[in-house]
Amino acid sequence: MPILTRGSFANAATSLALKTGDWRLQRPQYRHRSAPCAVGCPAGENPQAYIAMVAEGNLRGAWEMLVAANPLPAITGRVCHHPCESACHRGSYDQPIAIHSVERFLGDRAIAEGWNYPLKPSSPDAPRVAVVGAGPAGLSAAYHLARLGLSVTLFDAEPEPGGLLRSALPPYRLPRTVLNSEIARLLAVGIAFKPNRRVGRDVSIDELRADFQAIFLGPGTSRPREWSVDGTVPSDLRTGLDLLREWISIGAIPTYNRVAIIGGGNTAIDLARVLKFSGVDEVHLITFQALPGPAVRREEAMSAAPREIGQALEEGVTIHDRRGVRRLIMRGNRVVGVETVHMKELGTATGERKLVSFEGTETILKVDHVIPAIGQQLDSSVFGNLLGQPGIFVGGDARSAAGTVSGAIGDGCRAAIAIRNYLDGLPPAGDEMPRPIAFDDLNINYFDHAPRAEALILEVEHRSAEKEIEAGISHQDLNAEAHRCFSCGECMSCDNCWTLCPDNAVLKADTRDGWRYAFDYDHCKGCGICANECPVGFITMFDEQ
Amino acid sequence: MSSEEPSANIAELHHKQPAFRGLEAGHLACPGCGQALGARLVTEAIGPDVIIANATGCLEVFTSAWPRSSWRVPWIHSLFENAPAVASGIEAALKMQGRPTKVVAMGGDGGTFDIGLQSLSGMLERNHNVLYVCFDNEGYMNTGGHRSGSTPHAAVTMTSPSGKKRMGKRHLKKDLLAIIGAHQIPYAATATVAYPSDLRAKVRRGIEIEGAAFLLVHSPCPLGWGHEGALSIEIARLAVQTGFFPIVEMERGAVVNAMQIRNVRPVAEYLRPQHRFQHLFSDSPEAREELEHLQQLADYNIERYRLTSGQSESRDTEATDTVMRGGMRWS
Repeated sequence: MPILTRGSFANAATSLALKTGDWRLQRPQYRHRSAPCAVGCPAGENPQAYIAMVAEGNLRGAWEMLVAANPLPAITGRVCHHPCESACHRGSYDQPIAIHSVERFLGDRAIAEGWNYPLKPSSPDAPRVAVVGAGPAGLSAAYHLARLGLSVTLFDAEPEPGGLLRSALPPYRLPRTVLNSEIARLLAVGIAFKPNRRVGRDVSIDELRADFQAIFLGPGTSRPREWSVDGTVPSDLRTGLDLLREWISIGAIPTYNRVAIIGGGNTAIDLARVLKFSGVDEVHLITFQALPGPAVRREEAMSAAPREIGQALEEGVTIHDRRGVRRLIMRGNRVVGVETVHMKELGTATGERKLVSFEGTETILKVDHVIPAIGQQLDSSVFGNLLGQPGIFVGGDARSAAGTVSGAIGDGCRAAIAIRNYLDGLPPAGDEMPRPIAFDDLNINYFDHAPRAEALILEVEHRSAEKEIEAGISHQDLNAEAHRCFSCGECMSCDNCWTLCPDNAVLKADTRDGWRYAFDYDHCKGCGICANECPVGFITMFDEQ
Repeated sequence: MSSEEPSANIAELHHKQPAFRGLEAGHLACPGCGQALGARLVTEAIGPDVIIANATGCLEVFTSAWPRSSWRVPWIHSLFENAPAVASGIEAALKMQGRPTKVVAMGGDGGTFDIGLQSLSGMLERNHNVLYVCFDNEGYMNTGGHRSGSTPHAAVTMTSPSGKKRMGKRHLKKDLLAIIGAHQIPYAATATVAYPSDLRAKVRRGIEIEGAAFLLVHSPCPLGWGHEGALSIEIARLAVQTGFFPIVEMERGAVVNAMQIRNVRPVAEYLRPQHRFQHLFSDSPEAREELEHLQQLADYNIERYRLTSGQSESRDTEATDTVMRGGMRWS
């Protein structure tokens, strides 16, 4: 009942009794939406969330959130091709957030400060799981299994853990000190590491099955793909990965004068650069993929990271993109040249895409060696018949051909969850992510342009195969980068909704689940200003029933 | 993932907000009302120690449905034409009593540009220590959307329809700022609900200044202008970014400051979402001419108030309300 005043006055703020929320046709709600960086991360990171913690000055918290998905951030910050940055909405505005630099900064800080994972030790009677292969997939699986409280034994054929990270990544991209620190911290969570045990040679799958309740296989791909041109194989043929591994382990590489490397992936690029650093005059790279560029579709582009391709070009590697090798020109059983031909992927009548070579575009390239770097495949003599068996889980390169370090790490995490569910008799978990947010759902009127923090890169004349080429960013740049983040789909407590509601129907409340506002639906008229003006797209309007 | 319903007691929260709120919820403004938001922002910037004299108009009606009031500060409504006179009297009385309470007069554009102009002129001429705030929604929206002296040229209102003879309002928007400037008062400014930081700063300035101050606040009216309520801020922002509504500061009648437009937008971007300008987008020579006329008026504003410097600055149309994590820009 309204209080009738004696005279023409009213008491202060008595209109609160009028429930103008009755007028509402649409209701605003705070909704988490997935940021494109999180959707794009093969390792399952949520960069938006840890960058928010960096912006709040909580580096340790940011790192702990980061390693809840990816235990090796100092490594991925250096070697990942960062699809998060290609997806970043800020890229549609000025330049994407330098997420890899943030990740690397946190990883390096953790090494410098000796931070440990926030893990509880597993109980002595925890189920036992074997992890085969101490590459990125196996390391990630082992870590996540330990995180879930399981007892883990990690087997590897090599004397030292790391897999391809150790054997195929040159130190100018990944310094050994970083690799060793990250892996040492990971193994220290209570993982029993058994080196020099090649499954199928030193230990059999049946033995593993007898001793362990589940097995994760991350053996990688160890068998080179067959390569020949119409049956011609030079007698001294070595594969790219083989040469790269040899150079990394013993520091020597055969002396060539003119080399053609076949392939457009990271191994091809790495090998080309190593050869160039060791003084080879002409290093040619022949790939049917295209050099990355704005007009090039993602699937058509070279699979190596654009950053690495750019640096290789700077260092004098010649890249013949969209070319195929038609013929090897032999003198006896040695190569003296290759005949290349223009190639392009075209759509067929059935809608499929296929590679077409064009007559009349043949070119002769004089080289003394040809090195295929076209990838590896699973050693199916050991693992081929295991796939799909209960209690056996597979990840990393062994599972998918388009292997990346971050993809392998994501596989390890998903496999660990699947193994836990399997052991608990639960159904496999699906990937649950809130709806991704579109660029148009942000309100970029509330952001201003700011330059991206670029890491310092060694000048070409100072580069060598042993010295890291890209430096980390400064703490100041880190903070600037964190404040550039659009915080897509996640509240940044900017107070816009609280400030711009004509009806005072947005109220500050205690912090709940990352945001600190509540709608007063008694008074909200559903005008939608809050949703329209929310910079980060955290408010969605829903029709009232 | 869906958000949970608020667990907090909403009624209690209204009393626990970290900033003073002079205008409370439960008022009867239309959804998306620019004026309600404007009045909220102005009273919040002033603080509780104030007496408000309000002219007749939307604001007066929707905040005082007797026996209830939305105000948390002393507030009086007398007539359409006399808010400045009432405020002058309050100010004189407080001065006699030696009390520091601030006095603010509020009115719409009808009460300010037209009906109350005489008493406003008197208040300014006597240089009372009063801040006069005009919420400019460019028409008599309370009584059904009639044209006022503030309605822009070519806008359709109930009393300025578009037809064979005319494309909406025949006359130009009254240059009230020049009239105010002619009074040589210490401070006058324009602001908009689209740039709340700028609006708050100007309210504080107007309150601090000894003597008469005047603030014109561009306040979109979803009902009268014919746009979605959700677009009120966006449209107000476009009014500034096109040069249609210049944001300036005057001292003693001279323009001393103008919010710079970093990227000038075509005026059509501002006009198109509004029903009152829809006729300008029909395929006729008259429509094209009037549309061009409005573009020229915006360009003239840009020229006259020097709204583009060609450089980015921290208080320009793109940077004034850049958000910061944790709401830091409001502190």
